[in-house]
Amino acid sequence: MANSDDSGSSPPRRRDFDPRRSGQLLIGRLTEHGAANYQFRAKEDASYYVKLLTSRGERILWGKDIERAIQDGETKPKVGDLVGARRVRREAVTITHRQRDGEGRIVSQEERHAHRTRWVVEKVSFFAERARLARRLRDEQADVHEAVRAAPELKSTFLSVRAAEDFAAKRIADPLDRQRFLELVKGAMAGSIHKGEPLPSVRLKDGVKRPEPAPATRSAPKREDPTR
Amino acid sequence: MKPVPTSAIEGEEILDDPTASDWLKGALRSALERDPVDALNDALLLAGALEERLRAVLDLS
Repeated sequence: MANSDDSGSSPPRRRDFDPRRSGQLLIGRLTEHGAANYQFRAKEDASYYVKLLTSRGERILWGKDIERAIQDGETKPKVGDLVGARRVRREAVTITHRQRDGEGRIVSQEERHAHRTRWVVEKVSFFAERARLARRLRDEQADVHEAVRAAPELKSTFLSVRAAEDFAAKRIADPLDRQRFLELVKGAMAGSIHKGEPLPSVRLKDGVKRPEPAPATRSAPKREDPTR
Repeated sequence: MKPVPTSAIEGEEILDDPTASDWLKGALRSALERDPVDALNDALLLAGALEERLRAVLDLS
């Protein structure tokens, strides 16, 4: 599976970025990204890479999801931007494994179950904003109305916390267990926000008036439009 | 600054770049007078220290 970091030796003293460990944020200037065979080897499967110039030199990250992370990200980072790259979770996928002969022709193929790493690649400012939101959610003393006013994007998150509180009140008798449960829920949500995972969206109740759909005439889809 | 090219940037290009910061030009002029190995070592240390500061200030972990 194409998720690796190929950079070489690591100087002592400062933190090492190990992309196999989820959650670590690699910071650097985006210098290049694109589709290529894994590790730039002709016999490897198609993958996607991003090159970052970090304070420790150039790092190359590989992963098929990196293309989506860059193109569909919130900040749409471009070459030259200071960005952060973080591996946020692994998802189960089915991949087609192909064997090739010496001339690159496919001689056999089979489907295998594997995991694909989900990446977040955004401008650094995005991670700073997420850290701020996570702090706000973790703040036990924060007034919910005030917090939502200051950070409306957290509304659905606070609604989820409220739902967890209702659940705990009904189902967990011991006050200590209840408190621990809520701390775990809040901690998990704050951690997810901090990492840069998508914020939950607010679902409209049935009966709420929704915007009229666009007229039937459709423009040609943009290259980056989702196909589903 | 101008769009950053993917290839290495020559020192003179930076000094001639009207959008490059005075701080960068001053640091570069000073570094160009030093032993190149020492200068690069120090620059890498400086980059690391500034990254740590960025992480601390922006609460990036």
